[in-house]
Amino acid sequence: MIQRKRIRFTHSMLRSLIFTGIMLLVAGFILLLTTPVSAQPPAPPPLPSQFRSTDVIQYEGQGAPDNEFCLGCHENPYLQLIFPSGRAMSVTVDAEAYAESVHGQHGTEGFRCIRCHDDIREYPHPALTATTERELTIELSTACARCHTDKFDETLDSVHVTAMSNGNQQAAVCSDCHTGHEVQRVTDAEIGEELPTTKQLTAAMCTTCHSEIYDQYASSVHGVAMLEGNTDVPVCTDCHGVHSIQGPSSSGDFRLFSPEICADCHADTTLMAKYDISTDVFSTYVSDFHGTTVTLFQETSPNQMINKPVCIDCHGTHNIMPVSDADSPVIKENLLATCQRCHPNATTNFSGAWLSHYQPDFEHAPLVATANLIYGILIPVVIGGMGVFVVADFIKRRRNRRQVPEGEQQ
Amino acid sequence: MSSDRGYLRFRTSQRIEHWLLVITFVVLAVTGLAQKFAQNGLAIWLIGILGGIETVRVIHRVAATVLMVEAIYHIGTIGYQIFVNRTRPGLMPGWRDLVNGIQLFLYNLGLRSERPKQDRFTAEEKLEYFSLVWGTAVMIVTGFMLWNPIATTSQLPGEVIPTAKAVHGGEALLAVLAILLWHLYHVHVRHLNRSMFTGYLSQEEMEDEHPLELARLEAGDAPTQPDAGLARRRRVFRIVYGVFAAVLLIGVYIFISFEQTAIETVPSAAQQVALFAHIPPTAEPTGEVTVAARLTSWDGGIGALFQTKCSFCHGGIVPLAGLDLTSYDDAMLSKTEAPAIVPSDALGSGIIIWQQKGDHPVEFTPLELAEIYDWIERGAPQTNQEG
Repeated sequence: MIQRKRIRFTHSMLRSLIFTGIMLLVAGFILLLTTPVSAQPPAPPPLPSQFRSTDVIQYEGQGAPDNEFCLGCHENPYLQLIFPSGRAMSVTVDAEAYAESVHGQHGTEGFRCIRCHDDIREYPHPALTATTERELTIELSTACARCHTDKFDETLDSVHVTAMSNGNQQAAVCSDCHTGHEVQRVTDAEIGEELPTTKQLTAAMCTTCHSEIYDQYASSVHGVAMLEGNTDVPVCTDCHGVHSIQGPSSSGDFRLFSPEICADCHADTTLMAKYDISTDVFSTYVSDFHGTTVTLFQETSPNQMINKPVCIDCHGTHNIMPVSDADSPVIKENLLATCQRCHPNATTNFSGAWLSHYQPDFEHAPLVATANLIYGILIPVVIGGMGVFVVADFIKRRRNRRQVPEGEQQ
Repeated sequence: MSSDRGYLRFRTSQRIEHWLLVITFVVLAVTGLAQKFAQNGLAIWLIGILGGIETVRVIHRVAATVLMVEAIYHIGTIGYQIFVNRTRPGLMPGWRDLVNGIQLFLYNLGLRSERPKQDRFTAEEKLEYFSLVWGTAVMIVTGFMLWNPIATTSQLPGEVIPTAKAVHGGEALLAVLAILLWHLYHVHVRHLNRSMFTGYLSQEEMEDEHPLELARLEAGDAPTQPDAGLARRRRVFRIVYGVFAAVLLIGVYIFISFEQTAIETVPSAAQQVALFAHIPPTAEPTGEVTVAARLTSWDGGIGALFQTKCSFCHGGIVPLAGLDLTSYDDAMLSKTEAPAIVPSDALGSGIIIWQQKGDHPVEFTPLELAEIYDWIERGAPQTNQEG
């Protein structure tokens, strides 16, 4: 017979069971608390100091590190620099693009990275002083000055450096226009002339910051031609300068001398002949009241901000339109409105006082031509007649005077 | 009119008038010709020392105003002579003056034996006087047009303005040259005539230049005879001239203050555009790897993620820091001082430690990192079955 042993729950058993249950519950609760339940990992524990402590990567070749050494890491498309703010910046270098750049093409192997990044020779790199991507760009741009000192010095007078020194970090530095690793030639290496692609390249660079102005320019008579590949027309730098970039905000003389900028091309007979544009525009402007005043200001107070009209006040600045455009501010239909911007009380006939850059000949300004003709005749005739009369009188009197003493002697 | 000092030619008031005219004429000529020949170096220098073109224009206009007021006074003196004193307007040119001029010229050429005898005002003087009157009138009319182009063109065609400018400049040049030649010769070169300083001409000067006047004076021809009506005529003239002068002076005031021709501020651009309107550069590849699904195991995505983001350094012939993340076995056998992957111990795994430190050259995205964390905690399985 099978005697079944009955298990009896003793008091002590029950106690240990309850204890175990509680412990299990507590353990489960602790486990529940410590097990990550979200995707967010918990705060890191103190870093084991031995981890990667020996990770110094040094160039083992002769002399300075070559590009292969740097690109060993920097070709990594995921390589990034983490700023203290936590913001990451890609530090991947497009080796192919660099090789095609003017620096990459230099000599047989191109300039080495350390030519510009001269403080970096091994890994880990020296600690950064820049705290943002922009600061790093600005810092690195000073490297350009080591070789391109003349160009860098020119920029010191520019609106960009002025803005930068006034605390505007957005202001352009070298690499903003030239890029960092993909610097392209803008002039021909041998003859030093601008490359045919330079104008378009320039406009494309300026538009990154001056997009609204660019939009105006792109639809102007100059901009449209530039985009069609015409290299005669001005692009941003032709008027504002290349490195010492100036604008009306930089000083009074930009506005004051702006007619000279226009005259550079518009008084050039060979260039204008190509487009059948009169080169009288500058001389007629200067001989008129407006232009006379402006040229006198240039001579006597070159730094003064004036309100006297210069080319752009009538023709527009970036949005200069061809005269075939119905919106051109200088065509007959719109001229009065243009005059009224400075002469608010002007009425219909007023704009006729401006001879539209024509020389005052009988065809275009018969009244003026007549006045000029009359005085052109009157002055020599009257003054010449007076001269003959005076000379005759003078000679006669001298002769008389010589004769009188002779008579007295007799 | 003979006295010890000679024969009276100019009263003090006339001499003051003359010197006022000299000053205004010279100022107008200098400031005007500098504007006419503005490209000339001398003109530029002059405008510079006078304080710039704006100042020069103000000076020119002030002198013009003085000249106009002087002209109004002069009209009064002439009117007084004619209407009150009833004297012959001696400066009025006539047929006789033309004859005198021609005869003088012929005499100078030796074609006549006698110099024509002239009266108080010679033909040369009358020519100069009427040139001045005519010239001043032309300058005032054209000057008004240039000063008030808006008012002018409200009535006349626009071309009148540049025409007025041409006439104003032409007449100026004519007047200045005539003065330099004609006036300087006749009163300074030919013989220094001091009457504008002293008021008197000597007997010899009278004999030479005004023999007929001298003869009249010696014959006792008193210039004016006071008569009974003089006082009444003077009274009437004062009223009439007073009104006339007042009207003209008001005219001068209107002339100089008629219009505000142009604005005084810098004209604003027709279309204002923002100087700085930055186009953000096209986003560069940031190295983000989109985690499309849960990365369940090494084969289930973790290995591919390591291959993409880590193998560039932690792979190949010499894996950096002795960590090769290109295969599961190499990854688990990493020779780093702290193991890269410790199954079920994410916080003890080098990958997690280094990534959480935050300055590894390649960073996982938070989502990627959470997946790796989870994978290690689950024992870092190679395949899903093991997981």
